[in-house]
Amino acid sequence: MKQISIYRPNTVEEAIQILSQHGTEAGVYAGGTDLLVRLKNRLTQAPSYLVDIKTIDNLRYIKEDAQGNVQIGAATKLAEIAESDLLKKRYPMLVQAINMISSPELRNASTIGGDLLQEVWCQYLRGGYSCWRNGGYLCYGAIGDNSYYHSAMGGRLCYAVYPGDAAVALIPFDAYVKLATPAGAKELTVEQLVPGDLLVDGRIQSHVVRFNEILTEVILPPPKPNLRASFEKLRPRGVWDFAMASLALSLQVRDNTIENARAVFGGIAGRPLRERTVETFLNGKKLSVDLGDQAVSIALANAAPLKYNATKIDMAKGLLASGLAKLNANN
Amino acid sequence: MAEFPSEPFLEIAARLSGRQKNASRSGSRSYWHMLNLMQMSDNGALEALEIEAVERACPYEDVIPALAELKSMDISLFIASSLSNAAIECFLARNGLREYFSSVWSRDNAKGIKAVPLQSALDGACLEAPQAMFLTDTAEGLKVAESVGVNPILMMNDPDESRRLAMHNPAGGIVSLHELPDFIRVVRAKNLRPR
Repeated sequence: MKQISIYRPNTVEEAIQILSQHGTEAGVYAGGTDLLVRLKNRLTQAPSYLVDIKTIDNLRYIKEDAQGNVQIGAATKLAEIAESDLLKKRYPMLVQAINMISSPELRNASTIGGDLLQEVWCQYLRGGYSCWRNGGYLCYGAIGDNSYYHSAMGGRLCYAVYPGDAAVALIPFDAYVKLATPAGAKELTVEQLVPGDLLVDGRIQSHVVRFNEILTEVILPPPKPNLRASFEKLRPRGVWDFAMASLALSLQVRDNTIENARAVFGGIAGRPLRERTVETFLNGKKLSVDLGDQAVSIALANAAPLKYNATKIDMAKGLLASGLAKLNANN
Repeated sequence: MAEFPSEPFLEIAARLSGRQKNASRSGSRSYWHMLNLMQMSDNGALEALEIEAVERACPYEDVIPALAELKSMDISLFIASSLSNAAIECFLARNGLREYFSSVWSRDNAKGIKAVPLQSALDGACLEAPQAMFLTDTAEGLKVAESVGVNPILMMNDPDESRRLAMHNPAGGIVSLHELPDFIRVVRAKNLRPR
């Protein structure tokens, strides 16, 4: 592992100052379940200067504001989210998704901010191949074993999938985040936060956060009335693994008619994939047992699987059918 | 830039070698097989078959958008090919691609094949070899690029073949030509990265 230095700032402002000083050589250190592994993996893009934000005491909370929004500090542990009575009551689908992330031990260390901004878990990247995210100029996943952790929806240089579950589950609730930047605070929807592979500060990454910015808070607006939601995830192993395909589905239903649908797939693309064709199709439809087949027939029409991962599309479509069946059964 | 049929190149190779066609479905591999034989022969009167291949070639759908984007980025593009000038001009004209290339170096104006047109393109543009990229999808192409010193970029059309070719340590690789503008942006950004 390369030599590292750790800073322990007391305020977000101080942390931003340190990040700005070291450029892309510095990185935010919270739970460490991604960052420390990146360092152990000797990834070129892993930082040499760690800015430990655990010492900043106003980043770890779950609270409700006067408007009924629930605010989650970015350094809040996934286990704390999973155990929160407020979140269990207001957003049970989110809690369900969080409980499917990794293992209990890692949920005790991982933070919500880290989960949203984690690096991809392509086996070639983590195995030290000189790929797009590791100082090189070639995606080994596109030509190698891409059956588990690579996109079946096309790519842009890097074909690894965005691995996080929290973002997938947050998008149906119209969740948004706050970033602290040198120019002040800014807000982005979770969908805007993780738009997939893009070039930021000379690096390919899944999120838009710049080297001198810090994600400070996740905000969940009050759930819409008559909302039904489900989260399902298929993974190679029953626990402690990333999604081969997942789906967060929410339906706002009145008199058995869908008024507002959200379908967000995980594990199949370089970003949480909001399937707007399906959403538009579902809006205005009566919930029925036939709806699943119809939705599946139009879903993921732009699929572009690699050599070994066409099955991910079948999995994703299966999740859509089962998700709709489950929410119909909740009637 | 296009899917070429293999048959015309194999026919040329068969005529040059006087042997039966060695069946390959890959236009690229057949082409390089033909070039190897051309190097050993004076027979250059097979242009008609080359043009036949060019006329049957189907450009990939991502080619024109990618070339247009590169042009908008002020990237200079050159064609360096061992095909005859007539075959290249026919290909460019048929597919509306001429406007995207600053110059064309064929075996006619470069007076040679394989590395010779590539070197001519570099000389013509006053470029140092390490400043240039050469897109190829064959081992022969990678060797030619290396022999001249340009950066060989693997077009990863077929995953299995690309996996084998990746062992030759290309400077980079792309799955589709639509990634080339991003490729160049990454190279540029890495050079300008804040430290």
